[in-house]
Order: sequence, then C-alpha cells, then structure tokens
Amino acid sequence: MLSDITIGQYYKGDSLVHKMDARAKIIFTVLFVVMIFLCKNFLSLALVGLFVLLSMILCGVPFKVFFKSLKPIVPVVIFTAILNIFYVSGGSWEIPLFLGLKITEKGVSTAIFMAVRIVFLIIASSILTYTTVPTMLTDAIEKLLSPLKIFKIPVHTLAMMMTLALRFIPTLIEEIEKITNAQKARGADFESGKFMDRVKAVVPILIPLFVSSFRRAYELSFAMSCRCYTGGEGRTRMKQMKLHLRDGAGLLFFALGITGVVLINNYFGAVI
Amino acid sequence: MSNIILSTKNLNYLYSKGTSSQIHAIRDINVQIEKGELVGIIGHTGSGKSTLIQHFNGLLKGTSGVVELEGKDIWADKSKIRNVRFRVGVCFQYPEYQLFEETVYKDIAFGPKNMKLSDEEIDRRVRESLRFVGLDESYMEKSPFDLSGGEKRRVAIAGVMAMKPEVLILDEPSAGLDPKGRETILQMIMAYRKTTGSTVLVVSHSMEDISKISSKVLVMNESHLAYYDTVDGVFSHAESLKNMGLNIPQLTELFLKLKEKGYDVSTDIYTMEKAKDELLVLLKGGDKNAQ
Ligand SMILES: Nc1ncnc2c1ncn2[C@@H]1O[C@H](COP(=O)(O)OP(=O)(O)OP(=O)(O)O)[C@@H](O)[C@H]1O
Ligand SMILES: [Mg+2]
Repeated sequence: MLSDITIGQYYKGDSLVHKMDARAKIIFTVLFVVMIFLCKNFLSLALVGLFVLLSMILCGVPFKVFFKSLKPIVPVVIFTAILNIFYVSGGSWEIPLFLGLKITEKGVSTAIFMAVRIVFLIIASSILTYTTVPTMLTDAIEKLLSPLKIFKIPVHTLAMMMTLALRFIPTLIEEIEKITNAQKARGADFESGKFMDRVKAVVPILIPLFVSSFRRAYELSFAMSCRCYTGGEGRTRMKQMKLHLRDGAGLLFFALGITGVVLINNYFGAVI
Repeated sequence: MSNIILSTKNLNYLYSKGTSSQIHAIRDINVQIEKGELVGIIGHTGSGKSTLIQHFNGLLKGTSGVVELEGKDIWADKSKIRNVRFRVGVCFQYPEYQLFEETVYKDIAFGPKNMKLSDEEIDRRVRESLRFVGLDESYMEKSPFDLSGGEKRRVAIAGVMAMKPEVLILDEPSAGLDPKGRETILQMIMAYRKTTGSTVLVVSHSMEDISKISSKVLVMNESHLAYYDTVDGVFSHAESLKNMGLNIPQLTELFLKLKEKGYDVSTDIYTMEKAKDELLVLLKGGDKNAQ
C-alpha cells in the first residue's frame, strides 16, 4: 500500500537520461515545464506530446511504472477538467444544459488542454526523479542555488536537510509498516469505526514513530559530528559533477522543442 | 487429523510483485503444526522466516496457497481476520519499538482491550502476563520508555501473551540480549507453554537455544522449507545444515568430528546429558546396547 507510491522514486537503470548530469536534468525539467505551458494550440500540444514520448523512451523506464504514478492523480485531473468545461465559455458553438450551465467549444478545449498539461507535467517531473538518485538531486540543487550564498542564504545547510529528509523517507515508510503490523497483530483496527475512532487508532503508530525518529535524529547528528561534519565550509565532493556532450545534446533537444512550439503557436494561432 | 492447529498448503509470497525488485520470499511451503508443540524456526538471514510467520496471523496474504487454522482457511471470511489475530499472537523482531502507552499496564492492556474483554478480565490478564515475563507489579505504573532494553522487550512480549492466543509466535525474542537475558526469555517461553498448553513458535538464530527448548524444528533455506522434524531428526542432517550456513550446536559438532575420526558414536547429540552417556559408553569401549 504505502510502498506503491512511486512518485519521487529512483528507478534503477543506465539509460542516456540516467547518465546525464543532474544539474542539466533539473534545468531540462524546467525547460520542459516552460514548453508545456507555452503551447497554445493542439498542434503544439501534440509536438510536446511527441517530446514527452521520446523522453519516456530515452529514459528506459517502463511505461507501466509511469502509469502507476499517474493513477492517483486521475481524480484530480478529471476534477480540473470538469471545472474548466463549465468555467470557461466562448467559441463557435455551445450546448445549453440545466440551471444555466452550458458546454462551449472553448470550455471543452480548455478542459482537454488542462488535463493533458497536468499529465505531461507529472511525467516530466517523474522522469527527473526516476533517473536521478536523490542525493545527486540535492547536490545539483545545492550547486544551482549556490549563487544565492551572496544573499547569506545557507544553501548548503538547506541542501543537506533535503538530502537527509529524502534519505529517511523510505526508512520512515518501512518503520510505519513495521509498527502498523505490530499493532495490527495486537488487534488494532484501522479500517472500521467512526471518524474519531480512526483518528484515535493512529496514536499507537504515531507515538512509536516519533520516539524512534527522535532517537534516529539524535544518533545521526552524533554520527555526523563524529566524522567531523561542521557544515559546508571547505567541504569537498567525492563525486565531481561534469558536463558531457550528452548534456549539450539535451539542451539542443529542448531548444528545438521550444522553438517548434513557439513557431506553431504563431503560425496557426491560439486556441486558448 | 484434528490434532493439527496450523497448516499451510503450497504457500508462496512475492514482495513487490510485478516490479523490477520482485522477491520470491517463500516458495511452496507445506507444513502441518500439531497442537501443543514448541516449534523452533531457524534459517539463515533472509531465508523467509519473518515472512512465513506473518502469514500465520494474516498480516500477509499468500500470493498463492492457503493457511489453515484448525482446518479452516483463515481468509475464508475477510472480515473475521481480526479474530485470527487474537487466536494467533505474533510478536515481532525488536518488539520494544511498538510500545506507545503512558504506562506498562496500559500498554499490555492494549491487545485485550481490542478484544473487547471486561475490565476485570483485562486486569487479570495484565497481571498474569506480567508474571509470565518475570516482572513484578511495581512495573505496572512505570512508563515503558523508562525501562531498560530487556525490560521493554519483556513488556512487549507480555502485550501479546495477554491476548492468550492459542498459538504464540515470537520472532527472535532474544536477539540483542546478553546471555542471562536470553536465558530468561527462553525460560519464560517454556513456562508460558507449560501453564497455558498453547502452541508456541519461536524464530531464533541460535541452534543451541532451539535445541534446548523445542519439540520440533522448522528449517528454512533460501525461501524453501528444508526440514520440519523433531530435533533429533533435523540434527541428523548435520552436514546439509552446515551447507545452509547454519551453525549446529557445538556438542553435535564434536560428535560429528569424532565420527569422522572413525569412532563409533551417534551424531544426534545436542544435550549435555546425552553427550555424557555417549562418551561414557565410548570410553568403556563396550557396545552401546549394553547400558
Ligand atoms: N517489506 C519487504 N519488502 C520487500 N522485500 C522484503 C520485505 N521484507 C522482507 N523482504 C525480503 O524477503 C526475503 C525474506 O525476508 P525475511 O524478513 O522473511 O527473512 P528472515 O528469514 O526473517 O531474515 P532475518 O533472519 O534476517 O530476520 C529477504 O530477501 C528480504 O529482503
Ligand atoms: Mg526476520
């Protein structure tokens, strides 16, 4: 159940995308998002779709895995789409419904656009997390944000906090499962009862979880100081990040995509 | 065969089924456990012991195969699975991390309370299980978080015993304790079984402990059931046990070596008593049947 959550998980592999520099991949993801929001008609949306498909193939993660991560989002997508159908009006045709509600051309196309965009956004960000080890990701974020040090923002500390938080998510999930099992074995009931009963049923899980989290945090800080960790000052890296030809190719890929989208937008006009 | 309390038929379980990290944790397990038995479960790390016992109380549902409690499939009625958990009590590895109440008393009462027992019955059971684990009543009002590791462990075990399950399953109850603490836990388990007459399953990594307390031994090897037999029966396969990476008791090892050197001794020796007898016979140079 809990272990079915696949968003934000690393999927082992050694595809071209896996090998790309994490900093480059973060920038590419931003470019992807820009591209998704730039498109104004169905043709440019189709072009973005092509890019999404290509990236999915290039990153070597099975489509099944993507669908699994999309599944929980389906209700959100449908809700947004329905809201848009009725909220937006205009266009060449309309079908009046009850209570003054009506379906219009623009409403329908906006709804489709929104739904497709959300799905593309999720896929784009999943590609980043599927192909990048979390620690590499935070390292890259630290590097990319390092100019902010001028404004006295503790970039290293923030990145370290993120690394640790990410590192402990699986541990915590495992721990929750263990404690839940132990309490279930003593007859704890999490599935039935009134709302208040269910809230109360969580207490036997939360308390042991907090106790062990504090213990872990304490032990971790102790272990870190034992290894002379004193913050980012003068710290060097074991794995130096280097840009390769493939990262340049990626940049070209997205430059082409964005140019294509802009051209199509200008040439065929906007739908939304 | 009404004497069988727990049995499995072709039980299989896959973790993360259908993903790249799929693990076949237990394969085609067929075992029949008789009432009142004290079964020691042993196997190398990762052999599937913990996975197997979680099937006995329905925390895991086999990917295929069935688990039967007194001849009835435990999953026959999904809504009754909680009743199965009251009848088959499982105490996990490092159970001290499951304590959550303000006092030891309340924590032990958690299980019985979930069974909707009367207050008097709960009170009786809490006191009784505290006795089983060898803690006196002065512990009742203490916070479980203020206890030592071994005491926490015992409180957690008492929490499962208080449900008076027909089958009590303990996953490595003595892991990480000193020799005296381990001995206490073993004594506790034997006393519990004697008093209540219930069936007990104990997972352990120590052959010495297992041979000391068990009436039957279940050996897991690479997600398969290797043996389910009496202690003698299992130790007679000493060679293949060693190949499974299991350390046989030192005494048995000694007799195996003697045999290798050409002495006429039997190799199903695992208690000091038997060893003494066997050695005396050997030293007298007589034949064994003479005694
Ligand atoms: N929650 C889980 N998710 C995925 N795989 C698991 C999970 N729990 C156990 N496994 C895997 O299943 C196999 C059997 O594990 P199990 O915990 O049953 O072994 P064990 O015999 O109890 O080992 P140990 O003696 O170390 O406790 C192992 O390969 C383990 O990695
Ligand atoms: Mg285990």
